[in-house]
Formats: sequence, structure tokens, C-alpha cells
Amino acid sequence: MASEGDLGRKWDRCVADSAVKLGAGFGLGIVFSVIFFKRKTWPIAFGSGMGLGMAYSNCQHDFQSPYLLHGKFVK
Amino acid sequence: MAVRLLPAVKFLIKGGLAGAAVYVAYDQGLLGSGTEGAEALRKAQETLPPAIQQWTNYLGWEVRAAQLPSTPKFDFSLSTSWNKGVHTVMSALSVAPTRACEYTVEGWKYVKDLVK
Repeated sequence: MASEGDLGRKWDRCVADSAVKLGAGFGLGIVFSVIFFKRKTWPIAFGSGMGLGMAYSNCQHDFQSPYLLHGKFVK
Repeated sequence: MAVRLLPAVKFLIKGGLAGAAVYVAYDQGLLGSGTEGAEALRKAQETLPPAIQQWTNYLGWEVRAAQLPSTPKFDFSLSTSWNKGVHTVMSALSVAPTRACEYTVEGWKYVKDLVK
């Protein structure tokens, strides 16, 4: 397995995870804004920011642990 | 008694809805590791176009193939696109001096022909 291919896969995983976390944070921010905070904007921004932060943390962990292999657990 | 209970019931319903939204997000792997997030995106890419197609059929919107373009495929790899871009730029830079010489010679020949 070529290392540059592995790096490319990590970047792809990072971008995909960022998109998912941003979307989830945005969605949950809308839910909380509508339910609790009288349709204010700041929970949406807060949720999106949290999602991006979580994605950044995951990416950082993935890039800094080069010897971890990602596998599937078969029960 | 009922008037005093109503705000508490409203709060419980709201809390339940918010909690359910958070639980669904967690259960689908949207709040987990990077691998789970990528897997969730891949599952969404596979299920979304057929689901849209099913809904349009269910609502009775008969769309002819010519009117609506086919659902776009989201097979996008950032690393492949980046590598392709780097390769293209480097290839262009490597042939740039040769091409510049060729264009200069052609341009000089054209000017000479004009002057004749």
C-alpha cells in the first residue's frame, strides 16, 4: 500500500467527515434554535462551529496516528 | 393545576424532541469518528438519488427523461482531483520552455513574412 495513496485516502475521509459533521451541527443547531431559542441565529452558528471543530479534531487524530489501520469489526 | 402543569409538559415535549434529534444523529454515526462520518456520507450518497426518484414517482410527477437531467453522481475524490491538477500544472511547466521557443520561432517567421 503506497503511503501517498494512504495520505490521499485520509484527506478524502477528512473532507467527507467535515461535510457530515458540518451538516449535522447545522441541522441540530436549527432544531435547538426552533425548539428552545425562539428561532435565533446563534445556535445554528454554534452548532456548525461545533461540527467543524469535531471534524478538525478527528482529522488531526487521523493524521497524527500514522500506524493505526482502519478495519471493520466482523461479529 | 392544569395551567401550572402546561409549561412543564411543553418543556418535556421540547426536550424530548431535541433529545430524539441528538440521539438519531448519534445513532447514524454523524457524531463519531472520521471513519464513521465518511461511511455515513457514502450511505447517504447511495440512498439519496433512488429516494428522490421514488418520491417524485409517488407524488405523481411524471418527468420525462428529456426534461429533467439525471441525478448527479457524487463520486468526488479530493485527493485524486488535487493530484491530477498538480500533474497537469507540472507537465505544462516542463514543456513551457520548448513551447515558448516554438511559438517564438513561428512568430518570428510570421513577422518576417509580413515584412517581405
